[in-house]
Amino acid sequence: MKETVRLWDFPLRLFHWLLVLAVVAAYITATLGGNLMDWHGRIGALILGLLLFRLVWGFIGTTHARFSQFFPTLPRLYAYLSGRWYGIGHNPLGALAVFALLADLSLLVGTGLCASDDIAFTGPLYNLIETDELRDKISGLHALAFNILLGLVALHISSIAFYRIVKKSNLVIPMLTGKKTVPKALVTNIAGGGFVRFFTTVLVSGAIVWSVWHGVEFIQPVESAPVVTAPPSF
Amino acid sequence: MKTKLALAVILATATTAALAGPIEEQIRFRQSAYSFLGWNTGKIKKQVVDHPESFNKDYVAAAANAIAAVANSGLGELYGVGTDQGTGWKTSRLKPEFFQKKEEVTAVANNFNLAANELAKVAATGDINTIKTQFGKLSETCKGCHDLIRVKE
Repeated sequence: MKETVRLWDFPLRLFHWLLVLAVVAAYITATLGGNLMDWHGRIGALILGLLLFRLVWGFIGTTHARFSQFFPTLPRLYAYLSGRWYGIGHNPLGALAVFALLADLSLLVGTGLCASDDIAFTGPLYNLIETDELRDKISGLHALAFNILLGLVALHISSIAFYRIVKKSNLVIPMLTGKKTVPKALVTNIAGGGFVRFFTTVLVSGAIVWSVWHGVEFIQPVESAPVVTAPPSF
Repeated sequence: MKTKLALAVILATATTAALAGPIEEQIRFRQSAYSFLGWNTGKIKKQVVDHPESFNKDYVAAAANAIAAVANSGLGELYGVGTDQGTGWKTSRLKPEFFQKKEEVTAVANNFNLAANELAKVAATGDINTIKTQFGKLSETCKGCHDLIRVKE
């Protein structure tokens, strides 16, 4: 007996695909450089917002979006590796990858906020970092975090291919439609989510992103550059 | 006459010393040059990109001229053999590959010089949009070198 369930809620899918687009766009703008770096910064703001959204949604989203539902505890991992894990949503090993991706993306965005390309672009919190040494380190970490991300994405995509080819299970379609047909025994009640929570989470994430970009002006007034409009006399 | 000659000799010696100076000195000079460039690109960025309402033609042109002057000063001389290892104001981030990739290095360096001269030219016109576009092109040429021969920390 099989049943079709609502596995991934709409906000989660929106998060996933926007994140894909944003990361690709961030990579392209960083690779081309020049004036596109300002867009790199704006896309970074979007990615920060998406991450914050996911973090909150992991507590108040629908069942399979919740961290507690799929947190890779040792017993779960052990059960999965010995073939005794049954469930829908992220399996324990996949959950490890999910948390690794979220952690690395946080590192990527966090360092990006304080990074500089040593040309004409700086993240919004760059001025909070005091020494040149630390600034260089952070910018280097930003590049390292991206390389780690590439590795994790490669793992993500090859796992999807593995499921498709070996396990005959299509993981992409549920991430598009949200629906998955599963054995009736595995069906769980879907709770949480909803429009009000979605809207509130978007608002809160947006407010935090805005504060990161503009709050620094209150903490530490940036050099009043616009005031210097004419060249000095010597 | 004699004093002039002596002066010339002293000057020549001093200059040669600077040219062929110890590795650390070359690294220090070039780090200073790029810091100075950074100050000037920063000024242009602020007035042209971040706060266009504050744009002042002379201010930006002065910065663009400074960039072109540094670009045309013959920075290549500061990349003597062995200067990938050493400490100027701080440890050099020059990759050893610099010395194997002579052609690519020359290409990216020339791109930078051309873009810097072009920026000085358009800065003189005072047209903020053209300056912004050319400033973007200049940043791309900076990136050309950074990607090719600069160590990521």
